[in-house]
Amino acid sequence: MIFRVFFACLLLLPFGARAADTITVFAAASLTNAMQDIATLWMAGGHPKVVFSFESSGTLAQQIAHGAPANVFVSADEKWMDDLAKRHALLAASRSDLVGNSLVVVEPKQGLKPVKLGAGSNLLAVLGPDGRLAVGDPAHVPAGIYARQALQKMGLWEVASARLAPADSVRAALRLVELGEAPAGIVYGTDVKVTPSLGIAGIFPPDTHDPIRYPVAVLKAHNTAAARDFVAFLHTQPAQDVFLHWGFTAP
Amino acid sequence: MGFYRTVTWPWPLSGDEQEAVYLSLRVAARAVGFGLPLAMIVALLLARGRFPGRFLLNALVHLPLMLPPVVTGWLLLLVFGVEGPVGAWLAARFGVHLAFTESGAALACGVMIFPLMVRAIRLSVEAVDPRLEQAARTLGAHWVDRFLTITLPLAGPGVLAAVVMGYTASLGEFGAVITFAANIPGQTQTLPLAIFSALETQGGEAVAGRLALVSVFLAVGGLVLAEFLSPRRLK
Repeated sequence: MIFRVFFACLLLLPFGARAADTITVFAAASLTNAMQDIATLWMAGGHPKVVFSFESSGTLAQQIAHGAPANVFVSADEKWMDDLAKRHALLAASRSDLVGNSLVVVEPKQGLKPVKLGAGSNLLAVLGPDGRLAVGDPAHVPAGIYARQALQKMGLWEVASARLAPADSVRAALRLVELGEAPAGIVYGTDVKVTPSLGIAGIFPPDTHDPIRYPVAVLKAHNTAAARDFVAFLHTQPAQDVFLHWGFTAP
Repeated sequence: MGFYRTVTWPWPLSGDEQEAVYLSLRVAARAVGFGLPLAMIVALLLARGRFPGRFLLNALVHLPLMLPPVVTGWLLLLVFGVEGPVGAWLAARFGVHLAFTESGAALACGVMIFPLMVRAIRLSVEAVDPRLEQAARTLGAHWVDRFLTITLPLAGPGVLAAVVMGYTASLGEFGAVITFAANIPGQTQTLPLAIFSALETQGGEAVAGRLALVSVFLAVGGLVLAEFLSPRRLK
């Protein structure tokens, strides 16, 4: 009886076939909201369906290197894109910088104390006597690496490095501030934009860290016309407007 | 508190959410469907067989239970990925790709639930009185006959338990699937992966809550079905 039910179930299995022109996009997690809005615009124009896999750029790059069937990759930093370029996985001509981002100090909106970033910064005063500064782990999280560069440039690293709360990803750092575990954190401007309870206390001057750029490329192994069209669409004005809306900057 | 207001009765599910549910069911069914016959053979070998390498087989079967799932997924990637020995052979010989496909998700689930199924079946096979089989043997019954008419029916509850446990564990499998099959909606994004992605998205708590409710229903549904099909009821 069990087996009859069971084999009946097995027979009913459709083997997942997909429309050939579906575009699979692997994109950095920080792009989630913006990319979803852009895909909605794209599909409203009668174009092929787009499916996304949002993870940290490093995870996605590794999956692509192991043969994951992505048509398009958008990375949160140049390093992982370079990595795939070295493996000859990219359609070289399709690589371009899509958007930029800013590095900011985030605090709860309620009782927000503005932070001066530059000479005579009050960043440590904002943390209070024993509060910690939430950052992405400077060992491997891109946002944390930018944070370290900026703190070093401002001469705060020596003191600040003992007061960090390093998190697994930039979103985890954001959550520490959101939950009140840390009085302030260093995250991307776009992260603050999507969290209503948090506000920007200060923006790091762009010359304190490497430029934050998001490169995009079509992958050689899954190079379809639809994928190339979608990347072109990402550079059009309507798509760039969506990025601006979510707080991204021009590359 | 805002979270509790956003969670609503999970119907109707959106298209993407439905896709994740159906995909999970297909993956679980294939993992159990292909895993069960193999699990029965291994369970019989471990319960009844006395052969060199038995300990090794036992350890190998239990490996996915003891390793962190992400390691299991990674090992699968090393073996069945495009660059792995088996993966490269399958791709060249049959054009079959397992890594990052729905079949790959099923394979990852199947490997993860395999020890659970083997254990359940083995315990109930061991509980079958071997003298019954010996009696049948003296009467000239072929081993296939003995298995189908004595061992299997008596071990039925164990097999049923294996199916239910395998099915529910499959629906919940996360680490091995995301490592071996990635997180691609409609192809490898099973329910737990969809919930994970929703939680990573700002404002995704409502979707996560709905999908979590669906998982609860599916798991309880599996248990109810098992109860309904249990041998006691069939008598």
